[in-house]
Amino acid sequence: MRRPADAVVRCAGPTRGGTLIGMTKSAVELREVRAVYGAGARQVTALDGVSAAFGQATFTAVMGPSGSGKSTLLHCAAGLDRPAAGLVTIGGTELSGLSEDARTRLRRDLVGFVFQAYNLVSSLTAEENVGLPQRLAGRRPDQAAVANALDAVGLAGRARHRPSELSGGEQQRVAVARAMAGRPAVIFADEPTGALDSAASRQVLDLLRALVDEHGRTVVLVTHDPVAAAYADRVLILADGRIVDELPGTTAERIAARTAMAEERC
Amino acid sequence: MLTVRRLAGAFVAVTLGVLVVACSALLTASSRPAVPDRLARAAVLVQSPATRTPADPFPPTVPWSSAAADDLARRLGAVPGVSTALRDRVFYAQPLGDDRIVEGHGWSSARLSRARLVAGRAPQRAGEVVLDRALGPVTLLTASGPARYTVTGTVDAAELYLADDEAAARAPGVSTIGLALTPDANVDSVAAAARRTVGSGGQVLTGDDRGALEPRADARTRWIGMQILTGTAALAAFATVFVVASTFALAVAQRRRELALLRTIGATPRQVGRMLRREALTVGAAGSVLGTALGAALAPVLGRVLVDAGMEPSTYTVRFVTWPIAAALLLGPVVAGIGVSVAAWRAGRIRPLEALREAEVDRRPMGRSRWIAGGLVTAGGVLCGVATATAADARRAGDFALLGAIALVTGAAVLAPAVVPAVVRLLTWPAGRLPGATALLVRQGALAAPRRTAATAAPILLTVAFAVLVSGLVKTTTEAYAVGRGAALSADQVVAPDGTPGLTDAAAASVRGVAVLPTTVFAGTRPLAVLGVDPSAYVQAQRRVRVLSGSLDGLREPGTAVVTASVAALRSTAAGSPSGPPVGPDSRSPSSAADPSGSPRGSPFGAAPGLGSATPATGASTLDPAGSTPGSDSATPGLGGVVGVVFADGTRSALLVVAVVADGSIPGDLLLSREAVRRHDPSALTSAVYVNGPVTVAAGTGARLISVREYAAEADAAEDRLVWIFTLLLIGVSAGYGAIAVANTLLMASAARGPDLRVLRRTGATTGRIRRALAAEAAVVVAIGSLLGGVAAAGALVAIRAGLSEQAGAPVPLVIAWPVVAAVLGLCLLLSIAAAITPTFRGQR
Repeated sequence: MRRPADAVVRCAGPTRGGTLIGMTKSAVELREVRAVYGAGARQVTALDGVSAAFGQATFTAVMGPSGSGKSTLLHCAAGLDRPAAGLVTIGGTELSGLSEDARTRLRRDLVGFVFQAYNLVSSLTAEENVGLPQRLAGRRPDQAAVANALDAVGLAGRARHRPSELSGGEQQRVAVARAMAGRPAVIFADEPTGALDSAASRQVLDLLRALVDEHGRTVVLVTHDPVAAAYADRVLILADGRIVDELPGTTAERIAARTAMAEERC
Repeated sequence: MLTVRRLAGAFVAVTLGVLVVACSALLTASSRPAVPDRLARAAVLVQSPATRTPADPFPPTVPWSSAAADDLARRLGAVPGVSTALRDRVFYAQPLGDDRIVEGHGWSSARLSRARLVAGRAPQRAGEVVLDRALGPVTLLTASGPARYTVTGTVDAAELYLADDEAAARAPGVSTIGLALTPDANVDSVAAAARRTVGSGGQVLTGDDRGALEPRADARTRWIGMQILTGTAALAAFATVFVVASTFALAVAQRRRELALLRTIGATPRQVGRMLRREALTVGAAGSVLGTALGAALAPVLGRVLVDAGMEPSTYTVRFVTWPIAAALLLGPVVAGIGVSVAAWRAGRIRPLEALREAEVDRRPMGRSRWIAGGLVTAGGVLCGVATATAADARRAGDFALLGAIALVTGAAVLAPAVVPAVVRLLTWPAGRLPGATALLVRQGALAAPRRTAATAAPILLTVAFAVLVSGLVKTTTEAYAVGRGAALSADQVVAPDGTPGLTDAAAASVRGVAVLPTTVFAGTRPLAVLGVDPSAYVQAQRRVRVLSGSLDGLREPGTAVVTASVAALRSTAAGSPSGPPVGPDSRSPSSAADPSGSPRGSPFGAAPGLGSATPATGASTLDPAGSTPGSDSATPGLGGVVGVVFADGTRSALLVVAVVADGSIPGDLLLSREAVRRHDPSALTSAVYVNGPVTVAAGTGARLISVREYAAEADAAEDRLVWIFTLLLIGVSAGYGAIAVANTLLMASAARGPDLRVLRRTGATTGRIRRALAAEAAVVVAIGSLLGGVAAAGALVAIRAGLSEQAGAPVPLVIAWPVVAAVLGLCLLLSIAAAITPTFRGQR
C-alpha cells in the first residue's frame, strides 16, 4: 500500500530550477517563504525561510510542536495566506502576483481542503456539500462524480443527510469526498483526525492514502499525531518556523521519537 | 446558505414596508378633488384667473368685478349650447348657532346645485332666505351682524340662498360662472367655445377638473392627509432599509465562519456578496408580493377610516390604479438591495482563514470607516439642526428637522459601539457590587461584545430617538407659534369667534378694542394677505410691528397702504416709481374694469389703467398695473410708491405706500384701514378684537372672550390636530418597525448564544436564573438604546428650541410628549425581554 518517497525536500538554500525533484513535477512548491505576524516588539516569525516541494501523487505529513508554524505552512502553501516574502507555486502558477479573485479561482480548481472542524455548510446535504466547489466555479456538479465520491468514502446511503445528522467521522469523510469530487491536484488536510476516535481516524486516513495511490492526488497533511503521520510517504518536522528534520514514510514509533528529538532541540 | 428563519425579520420588515407604501400610494392615487354638490349640475364651469403663492398650495383666484362678471356671463350665455350662464356669488351667512352652513349664495345659482326646492318658494327680496329647515322666522349672522330673516322655501341640502340682488350686494366680486347647457348640447364643444370667449381671463373646467372648485378648506385637509400618507410611506421605506440592513449585518456576523469556509473552498469575494444580494432580493421580492396584496386589501378599509376622520370627502373610494401597485412591487427588491449593500460588502471582505480559527477573535469595536461614517452623518445632522433653527420658512424648517433627526439618530447608532462599554459600566455599576451571579453575567455579557450590544440597542435607539424628537418637535413648534403670537399681542384679553368663521361688525363694535378685519387682495397673480385695522390702535396692540420707513398714521388717508418690505421689493423689482400722481382707491377706470372681457388676448392685469391697451412689455409684467414706466429703477423702493391691487370685489386700485414695515412684523402682507377693507369686501369678517380692561360679550353674537394665551394656542387648532395625528401615525410606524427590529436582533443574538447558555446550565445555573440574567441584559440594552437615543434627540430639540425662541422673540418651553415616549419605551422593553428569553423555552424542550 505504501510507496517509496519519490520526492526530495530541500531544507535550506535556493533551488536551482526543478532539477532536484527528479522526473516528477511538483504540485506545490515553496521557496524561501517567510511569514510574520504582528508588528514591532510583538512580532512573531511563523515561517523563517522555508523551502519545500510536494511532488505529484505524494503524501507528505507536516509535524511539529504547537507554534512551530505547521499550520502557517499549510495556509501559505494553499494560498489562503500571503507570505511576507518568498514564492509559492501551485500547479505551476506563482501566487504572489494574483488578485484575491484569481487566487480563489486557482484554489477552487486545484486545491481541496479537509479541516479539523467547520468543514461543511450546515444547511446543505452531504451531496450538496460535495458538489459545492463545482457550483461555486459556475458549473453544474457532475452527479456521477458526486455519487462516486460519496460511494468511495462509504456514504452512498447518506447523500441526503445534513451535517447535523452525521457523526464527526462521517462529516470528515464527506469533506474528503468533496476534496475528491472536484478532482483537485492537491489536498490540504489540517488535523483532519483531531476530533475523531481511532476507528474514524483510520477510515479518514485510509481514504487520504487511497487518494494518492489510486487517484494520483497530492496530499499534504498537518498533524501532531504520529499514527496519522505514519500514513505518509515522508514526514517533515518543523520547529521555530524552519524545517528541522525529514524522514521517509515509516512507523508511528519512529516518527514519535524523531519529533520528540525535534522538540528537545527547541 | 442563510436559513429562512434567519431572514424572517427582513421578510416581515419588507412585507410591512411594502404594505404601508402600497396602501399609501393607492390612497394617494385615488384621492382627487370632488366636484362640490353645489355646482354639480353645471357641466361647464368658468373660474376666474388663477394665482400662485409659495405660502399657500391652494390660493384663491382673482375675482371678476360685478361689471366684468355681468359682461362675461352675457357673452358666455350667447355661446351655442348654453341655456344660461349663472354667476355664483359666495358670501358669509350663517344661521345662528348652526356651524354646518357658513356661506350663502344667490338664488339663481341654485340651478347649478344638486339641491332641490322641496317646499315654499324662492327668495325674492332682501330678508328672505331659502334653507334646509322649517319655514318661518330665523336669525342669520352676516358680516354686519345678526338679523331676522324669513325662510320662504326649503331645500334638501345644507345650503343657504338669498335673493340675487341681496347676494350681489354681499358679494360684488365673482369667482365662478356656471354654464347650464341645453339638453342636446355637447359639453366639449361648449367648453371649447367658452374657452375662446374667456381667453386668458379665466379657466374653463369640465368633468373631473371641476374638482378644482372644491372648498379650499377641503382641499387643504385632503392635502394634509396626502402629506401624512406620503410621510408615513417614506418613513416605512427608510425603516425597512434599516431593518433589512441590521438583519443581514447580524446574519453575516453570525455566519462569518460559514462564509469563510465558502471562501476557502473556492467562492470569490464577489460571489459571496452576490449570494447575499440574491438572498436579499429574493426576500424583497417575496415580501413585495405579499405586502402589495395585503396593502391592496387594506386600502379600502383605510380609505373609509380617512373618510370618517374627515380627511376625505364622503364620495371617496379607492381606485386600483396600475402605478402604485407596480411601484410597491418594485419597492421590496429595491429597499432589500439597499439594505443588504453594506452587509454584502463586508461579507466579501471575510478572509478564508477565518474558517480555520478556533475561537471567534474579538474585533475592534470601532473600525476607522465606522468612525468616519458616524462622524459625517452626525455632522450632517447638526447642520440640519442649525438649518432648522435658522430657516425662515416653516415648511422648510420641518424638512430640515426630519432630515436632521434621521441623520442624528443614524449617527448615534453608528457611533454607539464606542460608548457602549462606558454606558454599560455606568448603568450596571450598582449591580456589580451585588454578590449574586446574575449581575455579573449581565455586566460581562454586555461588555464582552460592545458591537453586539450596540447592534441590539440600535433599533431601540432609533425608535426612542424618533419618538422623543418628532413628538417634541411638533409640540414645541406648536407651542412656539402660540408663544410668538401671544408675545406679540399687548392685550389683556381677546374677543374671538365662537362657532363662527369670524366676528360680525356688530360683535366687533360691541367691545372697545383693536379689531382686525382680514381680506385678500391680488397683485397680479399673487394673493396678498391684508389686515384692515385702525393704525394707531393696532401699533399699540401689536408689539412686534417694526416700521422701516414712513408712518402708519398715513393710513388714515383713503387709498393708502402699509406694506411689508418683501411686498415693497416685489413691486419695485417689477416696476419703478410711479410716473403719475397716485390714483385713489376708488378710481375704477372703465377700461380696466372691463378688461377681462374687453381684451381677450391680453392678461387682464397687464394693461395699466389710463394707458389703454397694453404694450407687449407691460403686457408681460403682471405685478404692477398701477401705471409705471418699466425700466425706471426706484432708488427708494417702497415708500411713496404705488401698489396696484385687485380687491375681493374685483375692482382694481392703486394704493400709495405710506409706510414700509419689516417682514414678519405683521401677520400679513399689507395693512389697510378698516374702512377700505370693508368697502371692497362686504363679507369680510373680523378675526379678533384685542381688548384691554373689563369687557362683556353678549351671548348670541357668535363671539366669546378668551385670554391672550388661549387665543394664541387655538389659532391653528384644527390644523395642529391633523399634524398631531400625523405625528402619532409616524411614531406608530417607527415604533412598529423598532419592535420588529428589536425582536429580530435579540432573537438572533440570543439564539447564537445557545452554547453559552448550555455551559451556564451545566455549571449549575437554574433556568430561572438564566432567564433573569437574559431579561436583565435585555433591559440594559433597552436602557442603553433609550439613553443614547434620548440624548441624540434632546440635543436636536435643544437646538431647535433655541431657533424657535429666537423667531418667537420669547423663550419657548421645551415640550416632550411623555405619554408617547413612555408608551414607546414600554413597548421596547416588553418586546426585548420577551425576545431575549424566548430561546430558553426552546432550549428546555
